[in-house]
Amino acid sequence: MHKAYSNKLVILSLVLPGILTFVFAVLAPICLSVYYALTDFSGLGDYNFIGGTNFIELIHDTNFWLSLRNSLLLAAGFILIQHPLAIITAAILDRLGKHAEGFFRCVYFLPNVISVAIIAYLWKFIYNPSFGLLNNVIEIFGGKGEVNMLGTGTAIWAVLVVLIWHGFGWGMLIYYTGIKNIDPTLYEAASIDGADNKISFLRITLPLMKPVIQVNVTLAVITALKQMETVYLLTNGGPGNETQFMANYLYKQAFSSFKYGYGNSISVAFVSICILSTIILNRIFKEKAEA
Amino acid sequence: MMKKVLVVILTLALTISLVACSSKGTKEPTSENGTTKEQTDVEKSEDVADPVTIKVFSNLPDRTSGQGFVEQTLFDAYMDENTNVTIEVETLDDEAYKTKFKAYAAGSKMPDLVSVWGQPGFIDEVIDAGILEPLHEEDYKEYGFINGSLDGFSKDGVIFGLPRNTDVLAFYYNQKMFQDHGWTVPQTYDELLTLADKINAEDIIPVAMDGGDKWPLYIFITDLMMKIDGSGILDKVKTAITNKDFSDPTFMQAADLLYESAQRDLFEIGFETTDYGTAQNLFTNAQSAMYYMGSWDMSMATNQDIPAEIRDNIRVFTMPVIQGGKATATDITAWNGGGYSITSSGAQKEEARKLLNYMFKPEGWTKLAWENGVCMSAQDFAQFETGNETEIQKQFMQIVKTSTNISGSPLGDLGTTEFKTVTEDSVQDLSIGKITSEEFLTGLENVYK
Repeated sequence: MHKAYSNKLVILSLVLPGILTFVFAVLAPICLSVYYALTDFSGLGDYNFIGGTNFIELIHDTNFWLSLRNSLLLAAGFILIQHPLAIITAAILDRLGKHAEGFFRCVYFLPNVISVAIIAYLWKFIYNPSFGLLNNVIEIFGGKGEVNMLGTGTAIWAVLVVLIWHGFGWGMLIYYTGIKNIDPTLYEAASIDGADNKISFLRITLPLMKPVIQVNVTLAVITALKQMETVYLLTNGGPGNETQFMANYLYKQAFSSFKYGYGNSISVAFVSICILSTIILNRIFKEKAEA
Repeated sequence: MMKKVLVVILTLALTISLVACSSKGTKEPTSENGTTKEQTDVEKSEDVADPVTIKVFSNLPDRTSGQGFVEQTLFDAYMDENTNVTIEVETLDDEAYKTKFKAYAAGSKMPDLVSVWGQPGFIDEVIDAGILEPLHEEDYKEYGFINGSLDGFSKDGVIFGLPRNTDVLAFYYNQKMFQDHGWTVPQTYDELLTLADKINAEDIIPVAMDGGDKWPLYIFITDLMMKIDGSGILDKVKTAITNKDFSDPTFMQAADLLYESAQRDLFEIGFETTDYGTAQNLFTNAQSAMYYMGSWDMSMATNQDIPAEIRDNIRVFTMPVIQGGKATATDITAWNGGGYSITSSGAQKEEARKLLNYMFKPEGWTKLAWENGVCMSAQDFAQFETGNETEIQKQFMQIVKTSTNISGSPLGDLGTTEFKTVTEDSVQDLSIGKITSEEFLTGLENVYK
């Protein structure tokens, strides 16, 4: 068996499908995207090679920077709000015991098994100023009940709430699995030494969860940058471009404005930012690990 | 030994998979509709008409009501009359439709018959790309198309599509609610705003507006422009686009009026995020007194899902005149928007042409659409008056019959697709006060700079 695996033909036949998939499904589209980014292609008919004009336009496009800011804001929301809550919830679930543990694990994970379209419409109705749940609740507490959360000024926060809520279950489940893998004898030993829950969490759970946190944070940043479906269905970037996110803006330019060339320049910037973010995050975690 | 066995197994697996992948190429050549040459030969020898599959790509996903129902009924009838013809229909909603249309256009083969919009923002680029097949004008001499209705689908005197509807923009209102509260139909725009104040005072939404989709807002502003400027608005917008100059006072006045109207709560709170269905529901659930939309929604009067009390009391009026404006009450905002074209790369061009001509025989689309209370076609539909029309149908028919001028396509549909998206975004921003009227007009100019 060992000899078979050292045969170059065998290695090639095993590796080739993966390489071909990568080349044709990832590398070639990226190269094509770079090519079209240098054209004024509208998606129909002929096109001209216009060099870096699209990238120059991109630099001056305030909506692109706004969408990038919103994506980074979402990433910050994931890291600073969603994940701390998820890890604390996972730790609490771990201590709850059998029935309650299973029940709450399901409840918190429930939003993740619901279709994005349903989630978007659910929240659209919750936020609706004319008949939404939110305003009805406000009225019950004596408020005027005319809050338009998806309106100008508040829309981005309303969208962030939905996205953070929706992705919470995944983060929690991964942390929960990580916590379950921690040797329980460590907690027993800590308990004998007089450590309470808080100290156990800070001194045992968190340090041992470091690899899980690293993976989760990286995934969260990439998810934030890639965000599209929920935003598209909830606000489609509106009002105006207030809740515009990078992927949605790319789609809008390429397929609504029929600026296919420009859309590709956004996609090139988009891929570059995703790769750059991953490298930076890996560096940060690597440095911390070495320290 | 083991190594050799493994190498042989893997090589065999690879060979089998490659052969499997290429097996398609070794088969008997197939025709467009998937039948083999052998099958076709047998059928020919039996003197049976060749089976034909016409592929249709439509923007009418609901096949059981409205225009989708009329379309499907015609397809079914055509297949009954031509037993060798199979019509395969693929449907998507407008925005998704346009995206996939483009994906089809980028490929080498398009469906044979497609939905199109006879507005420069859509059809100009498509015609320029050579995607549509010219139609024969003489085929339609007896079809009764309304004067000018084919213009949007033509370029340099050649027709590339046929219009499906005559779209008229109007305020749908709940007559019973109006009577119960002692409200009257406004004759001027000022009266409309005063009425809105009274309706708001009763804790009812004056006008349900689908501002989330944005295009109803640019139709609304076109309606205002029409009432301010009268018949010349279409040329004025086209000239403004060509000259990259929107400094004409009509545009500024219309923009100011839209902003003021929204500020005076003519529309519901959060109209900028309200979608089509929700806006219609606000009206059909009596949460709003009026609803601004096109004549394509006249089927509300026959929609059994809407409570009878509301359904039977829906009436319409067009945009009231604006004080100081040049337009009269009978100058309306209307155009011939959606329609059909045959594609030049379709496999069954001539069969698709036959189907298209069949659909648009006066007793086809026009009769069916009118009898089902779905819409007004772009052909002479008055000949199919039965006396059983809904009140809205009668009102719309009267509006069209008595119209003295029509606006033509709305603002956002008169430029490129980029102009359309900029118009959509900026008109929404204007209506919620995020930008000023000046910024709105500068934004439109900047698209072409």
